[in-house]
Amino acid sequence: MKINDVILRTVTKTVVFIILTLGIYLFFAGHHAPGGGFIGGLVLASGIVLLYLAYDIETVHKGMPFDFKKVAALGVLLATGTAIGSLFFDAPFLTQTHSYINVPIFGKMGFSTVTIFEAGVALTVVGVVVTIILSISEDE
Amino acid sequence: MAFQIILNVMLAFVWMFLSSNYTATGFIIGFILGIVLLVIMRRFFTTRLYVYRIWAIIKLTLLFLKELVLANIQVLRVVLKPKLDMQPAFFAYPTVLTQEWEITLLSSLITLTPGTVVVHVSDDAKTLYVHAIDMSDVDEAITAIRDSFEKAILEVSKS
Repeated sequence: MKINDVILRTVTKTVVFIILTLGIYLFFAGHHAPGGGFIGGLVLASGIVLLYLAYDIETVHKGMPFDFKKVAALGVLLATGTAIGSLFFDAPFLTQTHSYINVPIFGKMGFSTVTIFEAGVALTVVGVVVTIILSISEDE
Repeated sequence: MAFQIILNVMLAFVWMFLSSNYTATGFIIGFILGIVLLVIMRRFFTTRLYVYRIWAIIKLTLLFLKELVLANIQVLRVVLKPKLDMQPAFFAYPTVLTQEWEITLLSSLITLTPGTVVVHVSDDAKTLYVHAIDMSDVDEAITAIRDSFEKAILEVSKS
């Protein structure tokens, strides 16, 4: 029996944006405040899972045509890439660096290669969580 | 409505550039002047001014707060009565709202006011099935919802 889930779908349309914004905030807050790549990735993945709950799989795949296994692989590649990159500067493996760069409008901003490493972690978490949810939900 | 808001913000930015006053104060002055200009040019828009719609949203919020307090007092009276003579009932509420967000908003408002809960929306989205904790007269409850929430929501969505 298919019930009319108009309320769930309408609320999802609004709430998914709030969840994704919170995920991105948590990702960027990780350097000086609670947060970071892992929890940011989990919150982003929970937003995508909410979409899968409200709509069917085909609709979400039309909107997000990613293969989430490849997303996880790309995340691992980014994280290990920053680790290998330190070898080119005669530094030990996994050495991270940061510096302050003058951006034209925003003034002095701190940039760090840890952000790239954390982006890899976040992508891995998103890919793994969504792949797990999709694998156990498919009825073959 | 969205077009009018964007136009108003753009007029505020034009005012900021012309007066080279790049502060929040300059933006607010430009925004108020933009509202005045929109009122002057209101005959040229196909939809009504967005100021009316924002006023309707504020009125809906105040109405919801009022209903929340009144309904809470009613439920408190039902709960604290020594005699258990309440009349729980389900009733079908035929709604005239068509868009998804309107139906969601109406269902949320009915659910958030104590004493009534929306349990199901029919497949053609024309009927809401509501459960009430204490109800003697069905028609009275239907007209109460119709005159308060549905009218206010229609006021918001009127183009």
